[in-house]
Amino acid sequence: MFRHLFKLIWNKRKQNFLFLSEILVSFMVIFAVFSFLTFYYQNYSKPLGFAYKKVWSISYDNGLLTKNRDSLTIFYDNLYKSLKAMPQIEEVSYSGSNFPYANSIMTTGLHLNGKRFGYVNSYVVGADYKKVWNITLVAGRWFSPEDAVTKNKNFIINETLKKQMFGNGDAIGKLIGDYDDKEKMKIIGVVQDIKANGDFWPAGNAMFTRLDTGYFRNNSHILVKVRDGADATFESQLYKFMTNTMKNSVEIQHLSEMREAKNEDTIIPMVIFIIIASFLIINVALGLFGVLWYNINKRRSEIGLRRAIGASGSSVSFQLVTEAMILATMSLMVGCFFAIQFPLLSVFNIPASVYIVAMLLSVLFIYLLVFACSLYPGKQAAGIHPAIALHEE
Amino acid sequence: MLKNYFKIAIAVLKRRKFFTFISLFGISFTLTILMVTTAFMDKVLSPDYPDLKRERSLYVSSMEYKNTKEGWINRSDVSFYFFSHYVSTLKNVDKMAISSNPKASNAYVNNKKIVIAYKYTNADYWNVLEYRFLAGKPFSQKEIDNADKVAVISEETRKAYFGDASNVIGQYISADNINYRVIGVVANVSKTVNSLSGDMYLPYTVSTSDYNKPDLMGPYNAVLLAKSKADVPKMQKEFQQMMRRVPIPKDFDRVYSNADPFFSAMTRRIAGDGANNGKTRVVTILSIFVLLFLLLPTINLVNINVTRIMERSSEIGVRKAFGASSKTLVYQFIVENMILTFLGGIIGIILSLLAIYLINGANVISNMRLTMNLTVLFYSFIACVFFGLISGVYPAWRMSKLNVVKALKAQ
Amino acid sequence: MIRLQNIEKVYRTDTVETLAINGINLDIAKGEFLSIMGPSGCGKSTLLNIIGLLDEPSKGNIQIDSQDISSYSDQKLAKFRNEKLGFIFQSYHLINDLQVLDNVELPLLYRNSSAKERKRLATEALEKVGLSNRLKHFPTQLSGGQRQRVAIARAIVGNPQIILADEPTGNLDSAMGNEIMDILINLNQNEGTTIVMVTHDENMAHKTHRLVRLFDGSQVQ
Repeated sequence: MFRHLFKLIWNKRKQNFLFLSEILVSFMVIFAVFSFLTFYYQNYSKPLGFAYKKVWSISYDNGLLTKNRDSLTIFYDNLYKSLKAMPQIEEVSYSGSNFPYANSIMTTGLHLNGKRFGYVNSYVVGADYKKVWNITLVAGRWFSPEDAVTKNKNFIINETLKKQMFGNGDAIGKLIGDYDDKEKMKIIGVVQDIKANGDFWPAGNAMFTRLDTGYFRNNSHILVKVRDGADATFESQLYKFMTNTMKNSVEIQHLSEMREAKNEDTIIPMVIFIIIASFLIINVALGLFGVLWYNINKRRSEIGLRRAIGASGSSVSFQLVTEAMILATMSLMVGCFFAIQFPLLSVFNIPASVYIVAMLLSVLFIYLLVFACSLYPGKQAAGIHPAIALHEE
Repeated sequence: MLKNYFKIAIAVLKRRKFFTFISLFGISFTLTILMVTTAFMDKVLSPDYPDLKRERSLYVSSMEYKNTKEGWINRSDVSFYFFSHYVSTLKNVDKMAISSNPKASNAYVNNKKIVIAYKYTNADYWNVLEYRFLAGKPFSQKEIDNADKVAVISEETRKAYFGDASNVIGQYISADNINYRVIGVVANVSKTVNSLSGDMYLPYTVSTSDYNKPDLMGPYNAVLLAKSKADVPKMQKEFQQMMRRVPIPKDFDRVYSNADPFFSAMTRRIAGDGANNGKTRVVTILSIFVLLFLLLPTINLVNINVTRIMERSSEIGVRKAFGASSKTLVYQFIVENMILTFLGGIIGIILSLLAIYLINGANVISNMRLTMNLTVLFYSFIACVFFGLISGVYPAWRMSKLNVVKALKAQ
Repeated sequence: MIRLQNIEKVYRTDTVETLAINGINLDIAKGEFLSIMGPSGCGKSTLLNIIGLLDEPSKGNIQIDSQDISSYSDQKLAKFRNEKLGFIFQSYHLINDLQVLDNVELPLLYRNSSAKERKRLATEALEKVGLSNRLKHFPTQLSGGQRQRVAIARAIVGNPQIILADEPTGNLDSAMGNEIMDILINLNQNEGTTIVMVTHDENMAHKTHRLVRLFDGSQVQ
């Protein structure tokens, strides 16, 4: 039966050209949508890696502070103590400007045995950074005061970077070259990935270095973890305190709000994209429905004939639905040929699994679409009376 | 003749209501999206409050150092020094509006936190841009020279900070723990005019950072106003000549800064750099997206039209037999298709108005109010014509090739 | 009026050549009412289509009203059909979306006449076939005989010199068929219209001036 139907359709392929191209273009649109959704979902389902809910960032202009290193060290030591002393503040850490959800990126390169690893997010962190964010260590240890005086700079990397560099092997204690491979740094710990760019983007490679007194001159961000009672009144007190201390402009932000803004940057375009794609597909569905309906009406005599020579009503419906599915398959083969290029060429450096899943989902979606559109016309065809249909000729 | 085509077109549409519905749905929806996008582009690209002298203006918003050998780039906004020291020497520049990019500060009022984005500006800022003052007036050169702590605030900020108080002129607003005396209130600026929208405007002389530092990079940008539209190219050329005299900083071998017309300034920010204004890239990518978007509805419509034509083969045969030439029939069909497309266009306009109303209400982009004006309608009209032609030509050609004899065979 | 010389029509597919019309010579005088008869597949419809300029002969010459139309372009042929010919088909081929009056007006749309003029001529034509009380009806609301009468009105509305009728009574019962024949005979006698009719019906054929029999593409008898 399939061979018969396939021959039928192959002979009519020129007539069905428009139908085929519509399915092909629809498939590409759906493939794009599912690729995005799969990519975002894959990232979304990975663990967050840190706790942001009670964290505030204090950003300030350090232009008017002393440049003297020793005075600055004393100043920041005192500031740390004052902040820690406030009953509503639980943890305090100084930080580089690219903390999670901040709109700031700092990347560098690392060398291992001559091989270069690029786009490594480089975080400069204070001693209590781990406590502020509740970061999880999966190997080794966090920074301790002795790390200030070691021969090689001690630093920490994240899981993704560790996998890239060492696979399943051990990373602790290994020596890594810095961005121009002049200095060597030693890995003392590996942390769980932190999704610093929002819930929908991969954590990427990350390394953490200790914020030492030499960095104080550049420091312009403080991260605090507040307790449950910290409200707007406390915030305005904290604000006054900071502006008095820095004698300059200060901004306090809640990480939860920054997180929402980051996620919205991803969600809003995605929603718009999906709305437009849905309307396009509804359009296509209605069009396919109409075309299939018309085609079946045109073949009334053929259908009457088939019924006359012994085909049952349901086999006629089955035939018509199957024909539509075969047409869809022809288009999907071409579509898959184009789609498979994406994982093969690793487009946008996105893992192949995203594309494969998206392709399978899209194929399934198109089949369902064509099936749904051909079901009703197919049933109508089954109701054609052979005598009437043949007599009309 | 046209009346007959119209009658037949309506009759055909009424006969196969389902096909008509599909076609109208597809056309109106596609055109709605095109119209809303056009309204958005129009909002962003057309002169908009307060930047109403766009055709006389050039925009300077970035400074770039480049080391072509190593490939390092350092890009940032511009320093005040660059404008006051270099750009002010240009003879073709009539006035210069210098302002810093909005910076956020916090204010705590009634146990609520308000974020106030403030800008530092010079005196001519108020002469180049046309802000609408709901109360008070802007600060002048005198207040700048005295570094008076005065502020012009937006209507939105006034409401958020002072609530329903009727007259806020002379009252004080506190930001970053500094008190400023309010001397003016201006109407809100849409965030689509990004670099000019702010909650509070202060004289640049009260800024704590050193605006006289002989550095080329800083947090400022400028709008250069020429005396007339014809002077703009002269102004641009003079600016480029001036750039050749600007000293190149250590570690780099090139310095770039550009005085661009509005659209080029925008594309440079999105897809360009110091040397290339990115206009072709942005326009190409946008066009590709639009064409791809139109592809699916067009194929769909062509498909439906071909189907409808095949249905009318008997009628076509009769018309040919009674003397209609192929050309006449093609013409008839294209007219029918245009009627359908324009019907869809009218529905599209109604839907667009609804969509715009909803978008404005949801305040998706702060203070942005889209409108349906003549420009938008004009482009929509063009889109309708275009769409109608493309989706009608192929089916019409197919129809004209119909063999009369076959079509008239006894059924 | 109509002169066919050595007309041949060959249908070609990839592998088969069918000779539908084989060397027909026919002269039809002005005002004549001619019937063409023959078994199925003998080429009579093909011949009618050729006379009606709807199809081109593979070989041979056609002259209508002393004009050699073998070399006319599509545009010229269309104009010629519009002015000089009228068609009646077995399955009427009315446009179901248009009212009766608009259906009859159809040929006049392709001339330069005003709406008023078209309405007047169409109403007159419908009067001639006895349907003046059905102007605003749709074809689907009429009986078979009434529909064929509308088709005849459409065929004569432009005052053509020649009418080509392909089995005009084929879908009608004998009573209605006779009515239609009466209208055609009337037209031929009172207006002097040349009529060429293809038919299966011996009785109808015998009411006409001349009968031509075709068999396998050639004229017999």
